[in-house]
Amino acid sequence: MQQYIIKRILMMIPTLFAITVIVFGILQMAPGKPGGGLETDSESANKQEGMAGHLIFKRQFHLDKPVFFNFRFWLNDDDIIQLLDEKYDKTKKYTRAQKNVATETIEDYGNDILPNFHRILERSDDKELKIRILSSFSANAARTLIHRFGEKLSEEERFINRETERENRRVAKFSYSPTMSSAEFDKLNFQVIDYLRSIEDRWNYSLLQKMYKCFFDTRFSYYFYNLLHFDFGISMVDKQPVLPKIMEKVGYSILLSVGSIILAYLLAVPIGIYSAVNPKTLLDKAITVGLFMLYSLPTFFVGTVLLFYFSEGSEYYKWFPTGGFKSIDSDNMTSLQQLKDISIHMILPLVCLTYVSLASISRYARTGLLDVIHSDYIKTARAKGLGEWVVVFKHAVRNGLIPILTLLGSVLPAVVSGSVVIEVIFNIPGIGLESFNAVITRDYNMVMGIQLISAVLTLLGLLVSDILYSIVDPRIQYE
Amino acid sequence: MSNIKVLEQDEFLKKISSQEIEEDSQKVEYWDIVWAQFKKNKLAMFGLYSILAIVLIAIYAPFISLNKPIYVVCNGEWDFPLFASLFDQNFFQNGVDLFFNLQIFLLPLFLLLIFVKVFVMMDPFFRFFPKFLAIYFGLSIVGFLLIYQGGHQVPYKDWTEIIQKKRMNGQIVDVLMPFNIYSYRQPNVNPGMNPAPPNSKQILGTDTEGRDVFARMIYGTRISLTIGLIAVSMYISIGIVLGALAGFFGGVTDIVISRLIEIMLCFPTFFLILTLLAMVNTRSIFYVMIIIGFTRWPEVARLVRAEFFKLKSMDYVQAAIALGFTKGRIIFGHVLPNALGPVIVTAVFGVASSILIESSLSFLGLGDASAPSWGEILSQGRAQFKLWLILTPGLAIFFMVSIFNLVGEGLQDAMDPKQRR
Repeated sequence: MQQYIIKRILMMIPTLFAITVIVFGILQMAPGKPGGGLETDSESANKQEGMAGHLIFKRQFHLDKPVFFNFRFWLNDDDIIQLLDEKYDKTKKYTRAQKNVATETIEDYGNDILPNFHRILERSDDKELKIRILSSFSANAARTLIHRFGEKLSEEERFINRETERENRRVAKFSYSPTMSSAEFDKLNFQVIDYLRSIEDRWNYSLLQKMYKCFFDTRFSYYFYNLLHFDFGISMVDKQPVLPKIMEKVGYSILLSVGSIILAYLLAVPIGIYSAVNPKTLLDKAITVGLFMLYSLPTFFVGTVLLFYFSEGSEYYKWFPTGGFKSIDSDNMTSLQQLKDISIHMILPLVCLTYVSLASISRYARTGLLDVIHSDYIKTARAKGLGEWVVVFKHAVRNGLIPILTLLGSVLPAVVSGSVVIEVIFNIPGIGLESFNAVITRDYNMVMGIQLISAVLTLLGLLVSDILYSIVDPRIQYE
Repeated sequence: MSNIKVLEQDEFLKKISSQEIEEDSQKVEYWDIVWAQFKKNKLAMFGLYSILAIVLIAIYAPFISLNKPIYVVCNGEWDFPLFASLFDQNFFQNGVDLFFNLQIFLLPLFLLLIFVKVFVMMDPFFRFFPKFLAIYFGLSIVGFLLIYQGGHQVPYKDWTEIIQKKRMNGQIVDVLMPFNIYSYRQPNVNPGMNPAPPNSKQILGTDTEGRDVFARMIYGTRISLTIGLIAVSMYISIGIVLGALAGFFGGVTDIVISRLIEIMLCFPTFFLILTLLAMVNTRSIFYVMIIIGFTRWPEVARLVRAEFFKLKSMDYVQAAIALGFTKGRIIFGHVLPNALGPVIVTAVFGVASSILIESSLSFLGLGDASAPSWGEILSQGRAQFKLWLILTPGLAIFFMVSIFNLVGEGLQDAMDPKQRR
């Protein structure tokens, strides 16, 4: 058994890796910029200040790197010339969108474009092209500092950073302006070529370095590296770390879903047993139909109707608050009052969450028991003359309720995402509302974090339900 | 002597052929039994009739609610604006509407053919029906694509205004309007206020943009049915293929596919759908369907895989393997038909849950804003706190979901040999 559990946990690792790759891929494929809603070229992005801010943002989240594989040591000169053509296009040959894309692409290439610049500057006689390269040069040649956005730096790293900064200042002087005379231009050209020659061996990558760059100098590997340290990154919206934020929100959701599951099981099992033991009676039929109706009722409808009739905003019964987890002034209350306050806030959401699971669990319990109750060993037990009570509870229930144990495994993931709609309706600041907001604002790190955590919980839930299975049913054995 | 022999041979042949027929009819018998069982379940029958009624409402929606007259007679000149606008992509911008408008003409043909087959040619219903249905859907999709590509567009004409003008000019105009005289996209139908409560003209009131709720409800059936049909058929097909491969071949195939299933099952489905949908910039009903279709197959695949594992060890499959039948024949001829029962049940339940998912998405504001989705009306009701915008769509979704669940459950019971008496 222990071996089995260890094996299962080890098998989770590739699964989780695959999940990370899939979710990451999906999020990177998404159009539009993160954190900024849907608009792709906003006004601020065109302003100089906004541009610089955007660049810092991109560097911070490694958005300037390719997603999975980095082949930027193989950039083609002709492609670069084409991109420059699009970027500095004055003849309106290209659309504005194309121009923006080209500008952004050149910006993203960063240092990796320098060998191409070097080659073109040395070989080409086209003055226009040289001007274009020289005007992009200083931006592209600037190098990023190590751990620029981190806090702790070693002495060595600080030294490297100082050197880099000095070089960046030197590079910044190589800037082209349209007022330059021809001689000045030639001088700048020579300076730049000189500089590029002096740093030429930086991009003479060995095969190993190329492999390293290909696989590890990418958005995904930076993200995954952080992930291995349980660092889910920071939210792109409010710049708060993701993991503490999720942990803070998850409490509300756990309270809701665990509460509703306990309630549901407490109600569902007796109902299921009753209607399985007395099938085809009037009450059984009524229960079946009633549960069926509950099962088909959409939660968002029930939630809205409950709010309409029973919340403070309604014209009918102002029994419950319209939403939220607690009142605004709850900090001033005594703990008993706080408890009462929270429970009053929780009643409507709990009702909504419970009735759905109640319906499905008791239906499972009923069918599971019905399957068992017609089996031979139950008939044998009855034939032996055992009492009905013993037959049902000792013989039938143990086997008949195995199916609803699998449902228990689904509790864990439901903690994270099962109640998105409910939390949105009742405005409960749990993980469901958070994930909804993250999706709407395209907060990639937050979405990634929630997806990954819920995937881990799902895997654990499956494991737990398998283990429970083998405890309840000795016939099931794992080797 | 020889004559007698020939006769004997004849009889023998007849015997064989009659045996074959018997064997053949036994294949159908299973579904006849299921149908007989199903018929006993009154609730399930109610569900089935309701589904048929809803399909009819969805198809003939233009005759129930549209702002164009069915016919106009003026000075002995007949005009049919409603029919003229059925394939007008300026008026019915949504592809779903065009598809259903095509059914207005195709469905009667289909029903007529079935009638002839069953009552004139006396063919057993369950033997030809699946093939018929497939051909029918194939035809409608081809027709739909032709119409969609045709791109027929006509400038908008306000017929109520035209008729009023003609009457003002003293002309005698004979008009037959649909039951409800609004289309679902027409804004500000009530001059008073938005949203307007139910009144004698707008029997279910209007929404925040002043569009008639009744019209939107009627056309909403089209959206719900399409979502159910397309999303479910997508994920059922993916699930059957992958599940059958994994369950039948086992070994490496099974490991790879079950890993894939496990990975997909780890995603919280609703949240995954939400994420994918938010990533798509254009809000279209088709994206919703495709996303539901691509995210929900693991359940089916797991079911089919388990069923295949179970059936594979059955004697008849082992016998078929021992006889050296090809793998394709065993999978599709022997195992799949027996594994199909639970899949059909899941499909019917799947329609219900897909409808539920779509309306939750619309409720959260991630649906197709141009489509008259029930969830979208409900979300307006929640924002505006207006009962008529809450109850009508809510009850409609409830009704729709429960009739599919009823039929699914009826099927499940009817297929369960333990409950057969």
